[in-house]
Amino acid sequence: MAELLLMRRFEIPDSHTLRVYRETGGYQGLAKAFGMTPVAILDAVKRSNLRGLGGAGFPTAVKWGFLPKDSPKPRYLIVNADEGEPGTFKDRYLLERDPHALIEGMTIAAYAIGSHLSFVYIRGEYIKPFRIFSDAVHEAYEAGLLGKSILGSGFDLEVIIHRGAGAYICGEETGLISSLEGKKGWPKLKPPFPAVRGAFDCPTIVNNVETLCHLPLIMTRGGEWFAALGTKTQGGTRMYSVSGHVVRPGVYELPVTATLRELIYDHAGGIPRGRRLKAVVPGGSSAQILTAEEIDVTMDVDGLRDAGTMAGSAGVIVMDESTCIPEALWVLARFYAHESCGQCTPCRESTGWVEKILARILSGKGRPEDPDNLLDIARRGAGTTICAFYDGAVNPYLSYVEKFRSEFDYHIHHGECDVQPGRVVTGLETR
Amino acid sequence: MSLAGQMTAFTPAQLDEVRRLQALYPDPRAALLPVLQLAQEAFDFISPDVEQYVAGLFDLSPAHVHEVVTFYTLFFTKPVGRHILSVCRTLSCHLLGAPDVVAYLKERLGIEVGETTKDGKVTFFTVECLCACEMAPMMQVNDRYEGHLTREKIDRILERLE
Amino acid sequence: MPRLTIDGKEIEVPAGENLIEAARRLGIEIPHYCYHPGLSIAGQCRLCMVELEKNPRPQIACNMVAMDGMVVHTQTPKVLETRKSIMEFHLINHPLDCPVCDQAGECWLQIYYMKHGLYDSRFVEDKVHKPKAVPLGPHVILDAERCILCSRCTRFCDEITKTGELGIFNRGDHSEVGLFPGKVLDNRYSGNVVDICPVGALTDRDFRFQVRVWYLDTQKSVCPGCSRGCNIEIHSNVRRPHHAQGRRVARLKPRYNPHVNDWWICDAGRYGFGFIDQGRITFPQLREGGSLREVTWQEALALLIDRLRAYGPDEIGLLASPEMTNEELFLIRRLAETLGVKNLDFQVPPREPGDEDDFLLRADKNPNTRGAEAIGLWPADRGLDAWEMLEALRREQLKCLWVFHHDVTRCGWPEGAVLEALQAAQCLIYTGSNVNGIAERAHLVLPAATYAEKDGTFTNFEGRVQRIRKALPPLGDSRADWEILGECLEALNAGPKPTRPEEVFRALAHAVPAFAGLTYRDLGEYGLMLREVAHGASR
Repeated sequence: MAELLLMRRFEIPDSHTLRVYRETGGYQGLAKAFGMTPVAILDAVKRSNLRGLGGAGFPTAVKWGFLPKDSPKPRYLIVNADEGEPGTFKDRYLLERDPHALIEGMTIAAYAIGSHLSFVYIRGEYIKPFRIFSDAVHEAYEAGLLGKSILGSGFDLEVIIHRGAGAYICGEETGLISSLEGKKGWPKLKPPFPAVRGAFDCPTIVNNVETLCHLPLIMTRGGEWFAALGTKTQGGTRMYSVSGHVVRPGVYELPVTATLRELIYDHAGGIPRGRRLKAVVPGGSSAQILTAEEIDVTMDVDGLRDAGTMAGSAGVIVMDESTCIPEALWVLARFYAHESCGQCTPCRESTGWVEKILARILSGKGRPEDPDNLLDIARRGAGTTICAFYDGAVNPYLSYVEKFRSEFDYHIHHGECDVQPGRVVTGLETR
Repeated sequence: MSLAGQMTAFTPAQLDEVRRLQALYPDPRAALLPVLQLAQEAFDFISPDVEQYVAGLFDLSPAHVHEVVTFYTLFFTKPVGRHILSVCRTLSCHLLGAPDVVAYLKERLGIEVGETTKDGKVTFFTVECLCACEMAPMMQVNDRYEGHLTREKIDRILERLE
Repeated sequence: MPRLTIDGKEIEVPAGENLIEAARRLGIEIPHYCYHPGLSIAGQCRLCMVELEKNPRPQIACNMVAMDGMVVHTQTPKVLETRKSIMEFHLINHPLDCPVCDQAGECWLQIYYMKHGLYDSRFVEDKVHKPKAVPLGPHVILDAERCILCSRCTRFCDEITKTGELGIFNRGDHSEVGLFPGKVLDNRYSGNVVDICPVGALTDRDFRFQVRVWYLDTQKSVCPGCSRGCNIEIHSNVRRPHHAQGRRVARLKPRYNPHVNDWWICDAGRYGFGFIDQGRITFPQLREGGSLREVTWQEALALLIDRLRAYGPDEIGLLASPEMTNEELFLIRRLAETLGVKNLDFQVPPREPGDEDDFLLRADKNPNTRGAEAIGLWPADRGLDAWEMLEALRREQLKCLWVFHHDVTRCGWPEGAVLEALQAAQCLIYTGSNVNGIAERAHLVLPAATYAEKDGTFTNFEGRVQRIRKALPPLGDSRADWEILGECLEALNAGPKPTRPEEVFRALAHAVPAFAGLTYRDLGEYGLMLREVAHGASR
């Protein structure tokens, strides 16, 4: 059983307090970092092969490297705590049970990139995590672990906690920036990228909560150690959020070399009620669905990409044989239609269109051309939008229809479901 | 709470908080979301009067405040009940029975989704993923997450609401 | 200057130019909705996507700055297919309003569908419904269903008028353009949002249901509403006189001039064309007994000359108007010289002080004050100015006053004194286009053509000389001032009457140093500045 890193304090009572954090080795990573140069820290992160754990899987050191070397403008570090990807809840656990790990991690990052003002954008619905994290920040300030000359290092860092107000798109880094700036969460045109021109027109780095929480141990144990835990291209462990038809839904921390089969059966207890696995979404709802035959894949960024899906936010949604796939897709289509910010035409119009087609199929009025139209609509919109939100919607649109085509055809041909015969999907509550 | 006919305005203490927030950020406009959250707490919901008032505090056109308020789901533009139940309806919750939770709440409360009970006690919404899938089916009750919902648990939750 | 290749053609463009503008220089039109050269980049419609070598995905052209060595393709199968897709997305929720929508014929959904779409519609769901026919203000009406959410209108109100009335509310396909509840779109440039709206979401209330645009003729001209001289197009309907209640001028649109008004015009100018077709004086009139009777031009001119010859130069006053063209003002100066008349002026104080702003509006509500100054429509040595002429009329020292355009009964002068003066005149001649208080009191009324009915030039407040062009024949029996004056001068043996205004302009350019060297051809689309050597000094 691999060593828990991110989750090692979770079962300790009062794990969210500074006292417990310090008793369990907290803030040693930061102390070590202050003895290093920012360049050396960046190098350690590079060697660690740490990749972003919010969804995009982008190498963290490479992202930090995009900052301009010679800009007089202040730099901002934004912590993306706007967790919203369906199937994902790991950041919530980190905020509630180990907030100081985030504080330490973001301070290390801020020091490495030369930022003295950091924003933590927490989704509005996360009220308990917000309170716990705010208390932890308060403790940190009191203890000289935030604010002026942290740990006597001479490095200053102010933290502003900014609550969201209910919009999934604010998890997209430039949507988050727009929201932070006091506007609608409309993503911005790229280029310019946030590292060059981000929040308030200044160079900005946006990192996920979990990504930053890894930094303290990377500092104390070294980048090579972290890299060795994983694959050639991705180091360390990550927290997998498992939900749906499993015996033990919850967060599980495993090295990125773990397979989906291990995760579902060895850790989450397999499928309850003696049922069979039908399909799994491995990386949050925006990841392509995998069939029961496709779960022998390692759950690292490249492994899942090669398997035709993505690691995304590591939100694993398990579906057993009782699941009507067209219905599952409709639920997601409703999600994307509701969360589309509306700024650009392809996403705004087609997310609504796809939801309507699926609702019609489920209500028994599907037409033979519907599945091919769905595929065509998705393919035509992919790659044409301002941000990757729509591409995230396209992944389920295409993969569910392609891999479970016969279920869609059955609904259309028979006007009802073959998986759950006689079940009427009532009150198709749309938006 | 603003009384009928009274002009919408923050108290001096609330105004101090507004100015503090505006000074906190590199651009004062960034304080708009926290100030709107403050306004919603102070005035229960965000009416056009409140939007206009807040616009004045930020030197923004009221239309741009209205844009922000209508964009985010946590800003209420109509009065809501004392308690807000937000039932998650996205994938894991749906697979584990969210439609039944919704149906049961409609039955127990006697209202449709988005409505408020006649006694002003409860407003009931369905929302997208609250990222508590491990406790599906679940809902947010005011500032708490309540999961692994069954009829019995829902009954107990409703009973405890004042 | 970056040098790039677009569709195989090389071109050098100024640094910082985007690909839509760069392509335009080669005559390549990249279709787009949300891009507008006068507004910030939105990048929302996604229609302007093009392929760039070295880039696997198509990119939007509006946000892509032309760089050295760039190779751009705007006609590849992928680009054409993408355009089709984007057109389809724009149209799925669009209402089938064409038969009742004013935009038909100049609608960019129609135009681009015919050019880049031409697919069969496959949308069979219920369309999203939004508010329709919502008046936003005195001039603009909104149909939110037709809106393609390009955000041009919201950006205009934020960036150009800085009034911020419009916003895009809600999210996803329930997004909706609108006003803050209870507010009105009444900034003084509100009509511009109708121009920039690519579809029939924002339309003119004034033009609503009047006439189909394909019946309209267009002509280039300059707005006479103030001394800014915004460039315009006059859109007239003569083909379907039973539409638009027979109004010939259907609407005015701004014309792009980077030196004067960019793409914009104020509402007062845009909607102030009613006088061209309403309340006109359409035939010469002679006062007999207490009333005016219609006469022929022959009669009228004969009487005019007779009267002008009957009085001595000190008994005659000429009150020109800064509403007149440079050519006409020049002819009046010649008339004054021919008659030896020194009592010559062009300025009458306005009834109310004009409003001005830091954008287009100028307080001087006349189009050619600068022209009148440059040409020198001032009293000659010890001649009477405008007010003095009225006073002299009242004292019966001045016997004959020829007023051009000014309605002196409704101006900044005390009405009683003016009426007294007019009453005392032995011969009051009025040349103007619309019925008014002075026309009713004149002895001889000569109907004048409006600016829309003649060629000529105006000089704006900065000294820019701009051409106006004849969009319509003069209404009824009205004639352009230059024609009337030409006839007059010929009858006074001051030379053959000009056959067209350009002749007069040539003479003007010869005679007045400020206009030296200017020609109609050189004035072109954007006009030219007066020469620095301006004499005709201001007082």
